Amino acid sequence: MHLNHYPQTIISYLFYSVIVPTIHAEESPDIVVETASGWTIHIDSEVSPLRINQIHSWRIEIRDSNSALVPNALLEVEGGMPDHNHGLPTQPRVTAEIAPGTYLLQGVRFHMPGRWRMQFIISTKDQEEIGIASFEL
Amino acid sequence: MIKRPVIFGLLSTLSIAIGFLVPIEKSSNWSQRELSLLKSLSISALPELPPDLTNNVSDVEAAAELGHALYFDVRLSGNKSVACSSCHQPTKYFTDGLKIAVGTSQGLRHTPSLVGVAYSPWFYWDGRKDSQWSQALAPLETSHEQNGNRLEIARLVASDENYRQRYEAIFGKLPIIPALPITASPRGNKDQREAWESLGNSQQAQVTKIFSNIGKSLAAYQRKLIPGNSRFDTYIDELDQRGLKSSPIMSTEELAGLSLFIGKAGCVSCHNGPLLTNHEFHNTGILTVSGQLPSMGRYDGIRLAREDPFNCLGKFSDATEAECLELTFAQDTNDLVGAQKTPTLRNVSETFPYMHGGQLEDLLDVMDHYNKAPTSVLSHNEAKPLKLRATQLRQLEALMHTFTAPLSTESKWLKAPE
Repeated sequence: MHLNHYPQTIISYLFYSVIVPTIHAEESPDIVVETASGWTIHIDSEVSPLRINQIHSWRIEIRDSNSALVPNALLEVEGGMPDHNHGLPTQPRVTAEIAPGTYLLQGVRFHMPGRWRMQFIISTKDQEEIGIASFEL
Repeated sequence: MIKRPVIFGLLSTLSIAIGFLVPIEKSSNWSQRELSLLKSLSISALPELPPDLTNNVSDVEAAAELGHALYFDVRLSGNKSVACSSCHQPTKYFTDGLKIAVGTSQGLRHTPSLVGVAYSPWFYWDGRKDSQWSQALAPLETSHEQNGNRLEIARLVASDENYRQRYEAIFGKLPIIPALPITASPRGNKDQREAWESLGNSQQAQVTKIFSNIGKSLAAYQRKLIPGNSRFDTYIDELDQRGLKSSPIMSTEELAGLSLFIGKAGCVSCHNGPLLTNHEFHNTGILTVSGQLPSMGRYDGIRLAREDPFNCLGKFSDATEAECLELTFAQDTNDLVGAQKTPTLRNVSETFPYMHGGQLEDLLDVMDHYNKAPTSVLSHNEAKPLKLRATQLRQLEALMHTFTAPLSTESKWLKAPE
């Protein structure tokens, strides 16, 4: 069973996710993530530049490969520090679609300096897209 | 003729020997990354204390003055002998020097410092309270802390002319507090709980409102307790863009400790920001408190905070639901089993013993604990063994002493009011 599932996991990971180069928050307040299908996830943080120990929200704009806004999507966001093997200290979640294709993620907080990895899972009625951002705080 | 080479030979042998004893700096400058991290730790990077949205009087001077008087008043306790200041003593950076607090009887936890905690979103070692005023209420009615009861405390404020005038100037006219029952509280003993039920909803609401305002006044006072500028901060503030390490302000040993603190020892992962704490919860494999069951820590703490009638979302809070972000989005997973709050390292050399049960006597014990990173009794220890040498542990200990400084708080707040 494990042998059958393992290659599939790897393939779907490679297909769905694109890891953007490490972003130093001081250099760029916004984060842009691209998925394997060319969708873009643009993050505009309430706290800019990003810093630790402050709860805040992100406005997240999603566009498809034709640069068209993607409304009515289900967006789930998870995060953590791969080097420390732990997640976020909070449970951020999308609480509103504030404009067509623009979503409000509330409850974001980072509590350690170092490399953070955030995963964005976008589900529409037709497809699922995954983007991953990695940045240093 | 042959003396000079012998002397040179001796000197070079001596310098090699000294080289083994004194750690040689890898670099004479901090890297830009290190420099940026260090700047973030200085007390000068501490922002102005934001208002507590759950407490409308958090920055009202008259409320701080009322809270100041209440903080030192033993009449708030059941046996009229224990005040907030009995355990959170100004002369000990608002700790008590004991392993486990002793209020009206033996307690369960080590007394944490109150200095700078107004910046934290969570209170108590397990974060069971989400505001400073709701925290301040709990010991008043906890049997082993002050063992008081809200009816008697409300009556004290209403009957003491000084308190009554101050209270009414801030919160408006006090209602008439019934003379009987003498004591009553929903958190008291069986008789007090029955007496509380006998009051009826309207009187219960009035008394609890007064009680919550007393908590808000105590918090307004405790918000004044802010750490001061230490030698560590002066060192960081005087670093220029090149980040030259050596300075007459800190010794070679302390600087070696600082390199470890932000480097190999990884202390800065949790002890970060100007208060040297991330205000979060971590399981670091601390031994269970003797005679107690292992603490579930933050796993239970967040559940208690959500049930607390005095929390941010409760009817005594002054915040709107949309402002209760910390409570609404708090993590509550199994990873929090056994996790305790990261304490500040400000003034840590003077706030011994350490950890939630005072399990570790001194700073070297703490360094030794993190160096070994023992297996946790519950869940898992997030920390990994550091494998540092004894010399390096002493360097870290030396650094801890540089975090100590007199508070930046006006001296009148550091003693009982005149």
